[in-house]
Amino acid sequence: MSRHSQTKKLCFVTVGATASFDRLIDSVISPKVLKTLKELGYTDVTIQYGDYSKSFFESVVKANSSTISELGLTITGFDFRSYGLEDDMLDAKGEWGNAEGVVITHGGSGTVLDALRLSVQLIVVPNSTLLDNHQAQLAEALEGQGYVVYGNLNNLSAALHESETLRQKHRTWPPVNSGTHRKARGVPGIVGDETGLTE
Amino acid sequence: MQSRRFIILSLPIYFCGLTVLLTNQNGLISAPDRYKVFVFLFLLALFLVNLIDLRLCYLLPSARRDQIRPRRRGSPTHLLIVLGSGGHTAEMLAMLNELDCKGLNFRTYIVSSGDAFSARKAREFEEGLALRAAQNSEEGFYVIHTIPRARRIHQSLLTTPFSCLWCLNSALRILSTGPPPSKNTQGHPRFPNVILTNGPATAVIVILASYILRFFNIGSCNSVGSMRTIYVESWARVKQLSLSGRLLLRFVDRFLVQWEQLLPATGGIGEYHGWLI
Repeated sequence: MSRHSQTKKLCFVTVGATASFDRLIDSVISPKVLKTLKELGYTDVTIQYGDYSKSFFESVVKANSSTISELGLTITGFDFRSYGLEDDMLDAKGEWGNAEGVVITHGGSGTVLDALRLSVQLIVVPNSTLLDNHQAQLAEALEGQGYVVYGNLNNLSAALHESETLRQKHRTWPPVNSGTHRKARGVPGIVGDETGLTE
Repeated sequence: MQSRRFIILSLPIYFCGLTVLLTNQNGLISAPDRYKVFVFLFLLALFLVNLIDLRLCYLLPSARRDQIRPRRRGSPTHLLIVLGSGGHTAEMLAMLNELDCKGLNFRTYIVSSGDAFSARKAREFEEGLALRAAQNSEEGFYVIHTIPRARRIHQSLLTTPFSCLWCLNSALRILSTGPPPSKNTQGHPRFPNVILTNGPATAVIVILASYILRFFNIGSCNSVGSMRTIYVESWARVKQLSLSGRLLLRFVDRFLVQWEQLLPATGGIGEYHGWLI
């Protein structure tokens, strides 16, 4: 079995910088989800686990080590990158000759926005333990418009399958990303109005 | 309108109060002197409230909807941008991606103290502007002020009023400082023409400070085309307004939301122009 001849397909998971989100790590590295990843042709999983979850990540990988080696998946992790996650997201997008993979992210608006900008396949899993579950609002709204897949912690396998479907829709024209949300009139224009600027 | 109704409602109270004060012991209505002191203080308080109310109705957005003075692009214009912490800063700078730096040729940034990230982002953003400006042989200038936090994360609610006052004091000082004197800032207004914010707690304090300055018309800052305010609700807010949004809704000149389904929550005040980030 020569793993190197196989095209890399990356699933990149990010929990964000501020709050820890161990339940997401736990859900991804579970036999069921790992099997789904394998089925869908994934070869690599990279997890950004945050400042406090290094030992948790390592223990989960250890607990599932037999499944992981059986499936031949490569699982790596890191705490955080001060220069941002753009490279990892592009890697998951298949920018460097890989197959197009997916990014699974917590519901923080900053990360979601970065991923949308790079137009990478995105599964958003809101961290429901945060203040009035505010991440869920954004994820629901974005899913309603076909930008992302709303991922449920208990059913990531379904989300991964759904993501493959959305990927096919993405390729059809016109792209889902166009439409009502194009900047009709940005903030610079409104600031110009309010200052009364004319030519 | 509301203000006039309030004054009319207050008139009978003034009448009764003055009657009590001015009739002597032998009059029809008599009151011991110590009660008169309370009546007097009450009337004085009511008078002050009436006065503030009357003044406020000239300061609120409804009273100056069209008070924008047209100016030529390139004439000294001063924009104040409130950056909060992490997420707010990222959204704000994303929104200003295509900022017209020839038109808005002096920019003041306010960042929270201890937020080196925001200050660094602002500097990088300005460097980007300068780089683009150089290509078009245009020039823009800026200053970054730090402001103490209104409330640090996990700060006790007991001490919050004090830190808010401290923050307000700082906001008043920053707003009235004006651009630092240099050959590039000649003729720039001391007070910003427009205050732009997207909802960190600090923004509420800065807007409050602008009202206090305009209330007393310090340095004629309440003139036409001065200290107009724009609020942009966070992209993360889909169904409900944020606390800052709810507080500022009726006190800013323009209130923008980024989700159409959020418009009803603004009671007809908000505007929707698609995503702005």
